[in-house]
Amino acid sequence: MTADSPSPALIEVNGLAASYGHVAALKPIDLRVEEGEFVTVLGPNGAGKTTLLRAMSRLIASDGKIKFKGRDITGVPTHRLAKLGIIMVQEGRGLFSEMTVQENLQLGAYGLGGSRDQVEGRFEQVFRLFPRLRERAGQVAASMSGGEQQMLAVGRALMAGPKLLMLDEPSLGLAPMVAAGILDTLGELNRSGLGILLVEQKAPQALKLARRVYILSSGYMRAELPAQDIKSHHDLARYYFH
Amino acid sequence: MPNGFELLQSLINGLGVGLVYGLIAIGFCVIYNASGIVNFAQGVFVMLGGMFAHTLLTRLGLPMLAAAVISIVLVAMVGVLVQVLVINPMWQRKAPLFAIILATLAVQLLIEQIVILTLGDQPRTYPEFTLGGPLKLGPIAIGYQLFWILGCGAVMVVALQLFFNRTRVGRALRACSQNREAAALLGIPVASMLMLSFALSAALGAAAGILITPTQYTAYSVDGPFGINGFIAAIIGGFGSAPAALVGGTLLGVVQAGAIVFFGAGYKNVVALTILLIVLLFFPNGLFGGWGKRV
Ligand SMILES: Nc1ncnc2c1ncn2[C@@H]1O[C@H](COP(=O)(O)OP(=O)(O)OP(=O)(O)O)[C@@H](O)[C@H]1O
Ligand SMILES: [Mg+2]
Repeated sequence: MTADSPSPALIEVNGLAASYGHVAALKPIDLRVEEGEFVTVLGPNGAGKTTLLRAMSRLIASDGKIKFKGRDITGVPTHRLAKLGIIMVQEGRGLFSEMTVQENLQLGAYGLGGSRDQVEGRFEQVFRLFPRLRERAGQVAASMSGGEQQMLAVGRALMAGPKLLMLDEPSLGLAPMVAAGILDTLGELNRSGLGILLVEQKAPQALKLARRVYILSSGYMRAELPAQDIKSHHDLARYYFH
Repeated sequence: MPNGFELLQSLINGLGVGLVYGLIAIGFCVIYNASGIVNFAQGVFVMLGGMFAHTLLTRLGLPMLAAAVISIVLVAMVGVLVQVLVINPMWQRKAPLFAIILATLAVQLLIEQIVILTLGDQPRTYPEFTLGGPLKLGPIAIGYQLFWILGCGAVMVVALQLFFNRTRVGRALRACSQNREAAALLGIPVASMLMLSFALSAALGAAAGILITPTQYTAYSVDGPFGINGFIAAIIGGFGSAPAALVGGTLLGVVQAGAIVFFGAGYKNVVALTILLIVLLFFPNGLFGGWGKRV
């Protein structure tokens, strides 16, 4: 560690690239999230946002380097990331749809092992954030509304006690009000110190919450800007259609 | 036309075989739900259970309980070996599912050959767990082994339900069956879970084989019929919950036994396959519509 980098980034990605067969969906990109920082990646359909998060969580093979708190985690398999504190909420939520809310949350705490007190504490924390989940604890996940399912997805991720929460379009398919509620909660979590990497297509609110914004399009990282520099969607268009 | 007592007698016999089919079916479900793989080597576990138990009983003179427990553990280890040596390498290389399923068939043939070379090709059996039967109720005779099958079957199904619903690892196994990627993202070691599912499934098959052998015989070749009937039972149960698989097996066993009385033993498989076709045509999700929680 050198003097001019007092603490390493929470996560730092260098030259990350991924392809499906011969299609290079993600050209080598750099990205970083500092401790406690809220970072948003914006990009249109097919930009490579999901590919980026899947590569970062080792669900797909990729080139490049990934460091977490200064430690090289490039070769670490998916199921070891949760223990380090890296949790991703998948596009489409990735719930265990035939299981109850309670069971989904319990599985979120899988990494805690048998420690009952700790698990109970997490349940309380999640229920405080999403009181709706407490009411629905016995309900099967598939039978909940889209908004409730997204709450469950976020709640389940929090059960693991992450240090970095990555979310793939959590507002997808939700009414604007409901989406805003979820994003508000993310803001709240961030203010209490959680590092967040949020991927969205277009979310004015995602810009408001974020400190920095990356713009991804056709697999290229087009820009990295302070969030306040983007005033409107018109500002984005010129990056999207390079 | 058979008389009522003959029919009842054979239905009772069918119940025992059917419960065993049910246990084998649960074994199919455990692996299928964890991985999407239909393990056609499932019958091998049944055969090995009977063969190992027989060997331990006759060659080493072990008591029944010890022979059963050791056989189950050994067969579970065979299950793990199959997963580690054959399934996992293919899985890691993203082999298509049908190729993996075909490989399980190859495993069955391979293990059959190994058994012929090491334990021989002669059919064999061992006495019922409790001697002195059968229990006579008028003209009906009920072998004591049936009670062992009923009892052990019930204990195993209850234990499985508790495991899948109440324990952390059991829940994780179910999670893998519903969404493997989400499970991995939460820290569940999916590959180890698949290994566990093979161990569990092999142990169930072995228990089934150990329980049924005294009522008939075992030999290197019984794996095929047990595998197929277990598979049909699993389909009838909708590849769903353990109780559904058990009901599927019982139904199959009882109907088969009834058919033998009416049409003769030669029609046993015809009846089984007819039931399979009917279920596939009219209840493609099994008789219970896949309602039950998956195991
Ligand atoms: N499994 C796959 N096989 C082949 N190509 C794929 C696969 N998944 C994604 N792609 C392609 O890779 C590119 C990036 O896809 P990706 O899903 O990462 O985009 P995205 O930004 O998440 O889009 P969206 O906003 O629609 O979710 C697209 O051109 C897509 O067609
Ligand atoms: Mg996407």
